[in-house]
Amino acid sequence: MELLCLEMDTIRARPDPNLLCDDRVLQSLLTLEERFLPQYSYFKGVQKDIQPFMRRMVATWMLEVCEEEKCEEEVFPLAMNYLDRFLAVVPTKKCNLQLLGAVCMFLASKLKETRPLTAEKLCIYTDNSIRPQELLEWELVVLGKLKWNLAAVTPNDFIEHIVRRLPLPEDKLALIRKHVQTFIALCATDFGFAMYPPSMIATGSVGAAICGLQLDSADQSQWGDSLTDLLAKITNTEVDVLKECQEQIERVLVSSLREGRQQQQQQQQQQQTQRGPSGKGLDELDQSSTPTDVRDVNL
Amino acid sequence: MCRTMATHKPTPSPPRSARRNLFGPVDREQLQADYEAALQRGLTEARHRWGFDFLSDTPLENSDFQWEAIPGATVPLLYRSCVLGLGHAEGERAAEAAVQPEDGGRVGLKENIPCSPERCALNQEKLEKTPGGGENTGLKRKQTNITDFYQAKRTVVGMPRKSGE
Repeated sequence: MELLCLEMDTIRARPDPNLLCDDRVLQSLLTLEERFLPQYSYFKGVQKDIQPFMRRMVATWMLEVCEEEKCEEEVFPLAMNYLDRFLAVVPTKKCNLQLLGAVCMFLASKLKETRPLTAEKLCIYTDNSIRPQELLEWELVVLGKLKWNLAAVTPNDFIEHIVRRLPLPEDKLALIRKHVQTFIALCATDFGFAMYPPSMIATGSVGAAICGLQLDSADQSQWGDSLTDLLAKITNTEVDVLKECQEQIERVLVSSLREGRQQQQQQQQQQQTQRGPSGKGLDELDQSSTPTDVRDVNL
Repeated sequence: MCRTMATHKPTPSPPRSARRNLFGPVDREQLQADYEAALQRGLTEARHRWGFDFLSDTPLENSDFQWEAIPGATVPLLYRSCVLGLGHAEGERAAEAAVQPEDGGRVGLKENIPCSPERCALNQEKLEKTPGGGENTGLKRKQTNITDFYQAKRTVVGMPRKSGE
């Protein structure tokens, strides 16, 4: 009985040094990741009805659902991997895109969580525009198109492997991890990263997080220009490519923050005119695609 | 009082902000038609890929595979016939699983196999046999190993109980 109660909170296994300290694991991840990349930049061929901004819309919605449901961090990036792989092979109508997003979250959540999202709940999040039965039917279609290969490598798989290999202050690790996860989620909402290998996104995100927290400037002698070099070495990425990726991440963050602020202002204005200045509903303001915890990052 | 409570209740616990319909109403009939078409396509592809008609449970005449019936009891539990909802759905699942198996990985091959025997379970269990022979024996050996493992485990678990009683 007590065990059941304890299971209400997420109890996590300790990091396993056998997995994290063995170089073979990282090497296997690097070899495997290529298999799970979407095959085409699908907006240029396969898709006729869907535009890049629609992918962004559905991605933002999916991220919000995952945040609201407190899903495991990798659920969202994994769901986006399914979505991109499906869209790379199946022409899809705009009106079915949200259904696809829900199906992908359904699958990713089942793969990664002990208490997965239910079909019913996901349907409610679509404002009941789809029915559980339809979700289950399309689950089958999506599974077929993904060839049942669901255990895709995500950027999140690399975080620990990278972070462990960097000389970082112990007390900052938790914060760094959190920011890296946020950057990864941000990348998943932006189609510009969809074809990048997960290891590169992870490496770029770690770089961006360390720079964002200004940990690299605190101890110049230790890092200097070498942070990027070190990062590149860990995941066998080319330095230039990695730099470009990190800059891209930072650009996306900046524009996302700007967008978020604008939305906030608009909503605040709306609320003030509608309800008067009651200062209510903080979470209703959270509509931008930028996850909350990174909004106070300075670049 | 009761009335106000009642009007507040119907929206249960979950969504607030993320709950929304993004792209307008879904055309249900079209969706259903698309779904059936997708399954049909999957079935056709699977039929072509595996040289097997999953609807009639019969091997096709000229295919890359030679199909051979084997007794259900000889395949691992996982592959045995079980009535999961409608047989209809089972067939669809099997077909979909085999869709586009050209994925370059060893993974793809492994994952496609379980589904085909499950489907043709109706009359008799059947397993795929590749004409090449080499790969085939490799597969078979692997499966026997798994069953061996199960048996071994069972005896290990069983023993302490016996001694305890």
